[in-house]
Amino acid sequence: MSLAMATSMLASAAMAEEAETEVESEVETEYNGEFAGEDPQLEKKIKILTIWAEDNDNGILLNKICEDYKNNVNPNFDWEYEMVAADNLQQKIATLAASDDLPDFFAYEAGTPLTVLIEADKVVNISEELERIGITDYVNAGAIELMKGLSGTEDVYDLPLGLNVEGFWYNKELFEQAGCEAPETWEEFEEVLAKLYEADIQPLTTGGSDKWPATRLVNAYAVRTAGNDVMTKAANGEIDYTDEALVAAADKIAEWAEKGYFGEGITTVDANTAGSMLMSGKAAIFYNGSWFTQNLTDETQNLAGEDGIGFFNIPVVDEEISSATSYSMNCGNILCLDKGKYDDATAWFLKYYCENMGDLAMTELGSVKGYTYTVEAEDMDDYTKLVLEEIDKSTEGFAWWEAKMSSEVSKTAQENVQALLNGEMTGEEYMQSIQDAHDMSEF
Amino acid sequence: MKKKKIKAILQGIVIALICAVDVYPLLWMVSASFKQQSEWTSKPAYALNEGFHFQNYIDAWTRGHMATFFMNSLLCTLIALVFIVLFACTVGFATTKMQWKGREFVSKFFSLGIMVPVATALIPLFQIFNQLNLLNTRFCLIITYIAFGLSLSIYLVQGYLRSLPDELLEASVIDGCGIYRMMWLVVTPLMKNAIVTVLVLQFFFKWNDLLFSMTFISDSALKTVQTGLLYFQDEFGSKNWGAIFASVSMSVLPMLVLYTILNKKVMEGMTAGAVKG
Amino acid sequence: MKKVLGNKKAVALFVLPALIIYAIFVMLPVLWSFYYSLYSGSPGLKWEFVGLKNYSRLLVDKNFIKALTVNLKYISVVTIGQVSLGLALALMFKFWLRRCKSFVRTLIFFPVVLPTVAVGQLFNKIYEIQPNYGLLNSFLEGIGLEQLVQPWLGQSSTALWCLCIMDIWVAMGFYSVIFYGALLNIPDDIIEAARIDGSGSWNMFRRILLPLLRPMVVTCFVFSFSGTVKMFESALALTKGGPAGSTKSLSMYMYDVSFTYGKVGYGSVIAIVIFLICIVGSFLINRFDTKD
Repeated sequence: MSLAMATSMLASAAMAEEAETEVESEVETEYNGEFAGEDPQLEKKIKILTIWAEDNDNGILLNKICEDYKNNVNPNFDWEYEMVAADNLQQKIATLAASDDLPDFFAYEAGTPLTVLIEADKVVNISEELERIGITDYVNAGAIELMKGLSGTEDVYDLPLGLNVEGFWYNKELFEQAGCEAPETWEEFEEVLAKLYEADIQPLTTGGSDKWPATRLVNAYAVRTAGNDVMTKAANGEIDYTDEALVAAADKIAEWAEKGYFGEGITTVDANTAGSMLMSGKAAIFYNGSWFTQNLTDETQNLAGEDGIGFFNIPVVDEEISSATSYSMNCGNILCLDKGKYDDATAWFLKYYCENMGDLAMTELGSVKGYTYTVEAEDMDDYTKLVLEEIDKSTEGFAWWEAKMSSEVSKTAQENVQALLNGEMTGEEYMQSIQDAHDMSEF
Repeated sequence: MKKKKIKAILQGIVIALICAVDVYPLLWMVSASFKQQSEWTSKPAYALNEGFHFQNYIDAWTRGHMATFFMNSLLCTLIALVFIVLFACTVGFATTKMQWKGREFVSKFFSLGIMVPVATALIPLFQIFNQLNLLNTRFCLIITYIAFGLSLSIYLVQGYLRSLPDELLEASVIDGCGIYRMMWLVVTPLMKNAIVTVLVLQFFFKWNDLLFSMTFISDSALKTVQTGLLYFQDEFGSKNWGAIFASVSMSVLPMLVLYTILNKKVMEGMTAGAVKG
Repeated sequence: MKKVLGNKKAVALFVLPALIIYAIFVMLPVLWSFYYSLYSGSPGLKWEFVGLKNYSRLLVDKNFIKALTVNLKYISVVTIGQVSLGLALALMFKFWLRRCKSFVRTLIFFPVVLPTVAVGQLFNKIYEIQPNYGLLNSFLEGIGLEQLVQPWLGQSSTALWCLCIMDIWVAMGFYSVIFYGALLNIPDDIIEAARIDGSGSWNMFRRILLPLLRPMVVTCFVFSFSGTVKMFESALALTKGGPAGSTKSLSMYMYDVSFTYGKVGYGSVIAIVIFLICIVGSFLINRFDTKD
C-alpha cells in the first residue's frame, strides 16, 4: 500500500518538475521602460529577504529606503521584510531557487554561492540594468570591480551592501605600554607581537568560535608571501592547496597559537567577544573589517575611546609579491534581485535605491555601502574617516580565504582552523584537509 | 547499631550530593540571570548575584521574542499530543482487541516506525513540504510530530491493552454497548496510566525537537522555543550573559511549574509500570 | 461479541487516519531516501542520476568516517552512562532513602523537562573560559586547582566528553524513575528472603534484582539508544559540532551535506546509514532480551 503511494507521489513530483521547466522557458521578460522622467508610480509589492533584524545594520537602511520611496515617490509601492539567521541563508535561498520562488530582493554571499545562482540563471544582470536605467554612476566603481572579481564574470549580478577594507585594529594604549608602533613589514609585526607578549599583554585575539576571523589570518600571510591571487590559483587547480607557501601560512598561525599569543581557549571566543577584548584592553591586536567601526563609534562598547584604537594594513613581506597598498577588500553580504520577478516597477525602485542609498547609509549609520554619497566628510566621526582614508589608499584588492571555495571546502577550511589553533593539526595537515575536501567536492 | 547509623548518614550524604549536582546548575542559572554585566568580571562565576537586575529579563522578553516562541511551541506540541493520544488509543485498541483481517500486518507495520530515526526522513519531508508550499507553516511541524509520535505510542498502548482481560469487554457487550461507547466509556478510562505515559514521553520528545523545527521553519514569527534560543547568542552577542541566562531561565521556568503541578500524575504513570518491556 | 469487535466500519475509522498519516510522513520518506540516494545535486538544481556513485563516495569521505566515529563513541558512552546511572539512582531511592522520597525523585527528574537548547546554553556557560571563567573553571580556580583550568569546549580532547556528561546529566533522572517503578513491582518478600539467606548487597543485586529487571534494562537501552543515535539537538546547542568537527554527528553532517552543500543525494545516503545503524543497534539490544 505504501509502495503504491510512493510511486504515485514520485510520479506527480516528477510531473510538477516538468511543468515548472516549461513555464520557465515561456517567461521572457520584456523591458521597454524609459527611466529618465517621472516615476510612473506603478503598483508593486516586493519581498525582501535578509539576515538583519529590522532595527539592525542594513535592516534599518533597507526598511528606511522602502519607506522613503513609498512616502516620497510611489504611494502604490509596498514591501514585505523577512529575516533569516545568517546560518540558514544559503539553505533558504537554495530551496527557494529550486522551487522558483526567490524573493524580489535578497541578501546573499558573494563568491561561489552567488556563482551557482548566476550559472542557474536565477538573478538579474545588474550591469545591464544599471546601464539601461542610466544609474551606473551611483554605484561605486571599485565595488563593481570587486564583485566582478569575486564572481569571476564580465558583468555584475549583485549590489554591494558595504565597501570594506580589512586589516589589523590595535589598542594604542597597550602598544604604548609595550613601546611598540604600528608595523609596516612582517618582520616588524613579529617583533611587535613578541614585545607585547613579553610585556605580559595578550598580543592577539580572534573570533575562533566564529572561525572566519581565524582563517583571515592564514590568508593574510599567504597573500603577502605568495601574491594576491594565490587562493584563486588554488581554487582553479593551478597550484595545490598543499603548496609550500600556503602550508607556511597555516604554520605561521599555528606557531602564534603555540607561543600563546592568542591567550586561553581561543576557539571558544567569538568575534564580538574578541572585539570587546580589544576595546577593553584585554588584547592588543584584532583582525577585522571596516564594519568594526560600528562598534568603535558606540561609546558604551568602546572603552578605549574616540582615539584609542588604530588600524594598520596587513604588513608586507615583499613589495614585489603583494604591495603595501593592496588590501583585503569585500562588499559585505551582497544584495541580489530575482530574475523571474523583475519588472519595470522593480526597476523604478532600483533606480531610487541606487540614487539614495549612499547618502542614507552615511546619515543613518555613518558607513560606506558602495554607493556614491554627497554628505560632507566633516560630519563623520574619526573612525569612519580613518576607514575612508584607507580605502582611498588602496590600489588593489584581494579576497578572503574561502571566497573561491565551494561551500564544502569552505566548511572544512573553517572547521579545521580550530584544530590548527589548538595545535591538533599542523599546517600541512590543515592544508591537506582542504585539498581533500576540494578533491571530494568534485567526486 | 552505631555502624548502621553511620552508614545511613553516609548514604544520606551521597544522595544530597546527587541532588546538589542536579539542582545547583539550575539555581546558579537563576542567580546568574539577575547579575549585572560588571559582576562577571569583578567576581568569580560561582558568586551569588548582588542585586536583582531585572533589565536582563526585559531585554530577553522584548528583543528575544520569548512570548512568541512559547506560543508556537505550545501550539505545535499540544495539538500534536491530542492527535497522538487519540490515534494511539484507537489503533492500539483495533489491533489488539478487535477482530479483522490484516491486523497483525498493520500492527507490524506501525512498529517498524520505532526504528526510523528522524534524520532519515528529513530530506524527503523537506522536499515534500517545499513542493506543497507548506514550509514555514505550523501545519507541517504538527503533522510530522504526529506521524513520528505514532509508532512508539501505539506500541506502549498495545502492551497495556494486551494485559486487559477480555471479560471486561464481554461484560460491556452484554450490557448492550456498541463499539464506540465501549471504546469511550469502558476502555479509555482503563487506559489512564498508559495515556499519561504516552503524553509525558511524547511531550518531552516534541518539546525538545530541534531538527524538524529548524529545517522547516525560518520565519521568526513561527519559531519554537528551541530554535529561538539557538540563535539567541547571535542576537545578543555572547558577552551579554545576563540576558542569555534570563532567556534560558524564562524558557525553563514554565516547564518546571507545569511539571511540579503534574508531578504526581507523571510519577504515577511512569512508575505504574505502564512502560513495559 | 464478535459482531461488535468485528465492526469493519469502526476498524476503518480507528485505523485509517493514523495509517495514512504514518505511511505518508514516515514510511514514504524513508523509501524516498533510497530513491534520492541515486542522484547528485539537489532537486531543481543540477539534479542528475548517478547510480551508486554516492555510496562509493561514502567509503573515501574522511568527514563521514570522522562523524561516524564521533557518533558511535557518543552512543556507547551516553547509553551506558544514562542507563547505569539511572539504575544506580533507582536502587538508592529504594534502599537508602527513607524520608522525602517523592521530593528527591522530583528533584532528580527536573533536568528532563528542560528544553535541550536551554541546557546547552547553560552548560556552555558552565564550561566557559573566555572572556570570563565559567562556573567550572572559576570553581577549579577557587579551590586552588588552577592547572586544571582549560578550554573544556575549545579542544577536541575534552569537548565530546563534556557533551556526554551534559546528556547523561539531563536524562539520568528519567531512567531512574522508570527503574524505580520496576523495583516497586518486585515483591518485598523476594528481597527479604534474599536478605535472610545472608547474601550481600552486590550479590543480591546480581543474582536477584538484575535478572528481574532485565526486560526493563533492555527497554531503557532501546530508549536511550534511539535517543542518542540521532545526536543532534544537544551537540548543536552546546558546541555547534566544533571544535574542528570533534562533536559533529552523522545527523549534523547529513544536515550540512544536504542543506548547506546542496548535495541532497549524498545526504540521503548518510540518512540511510543512520537508519541502518538504528536497525542493527536495536537488533543487538533485543538479542539480550530473548536469550532465555
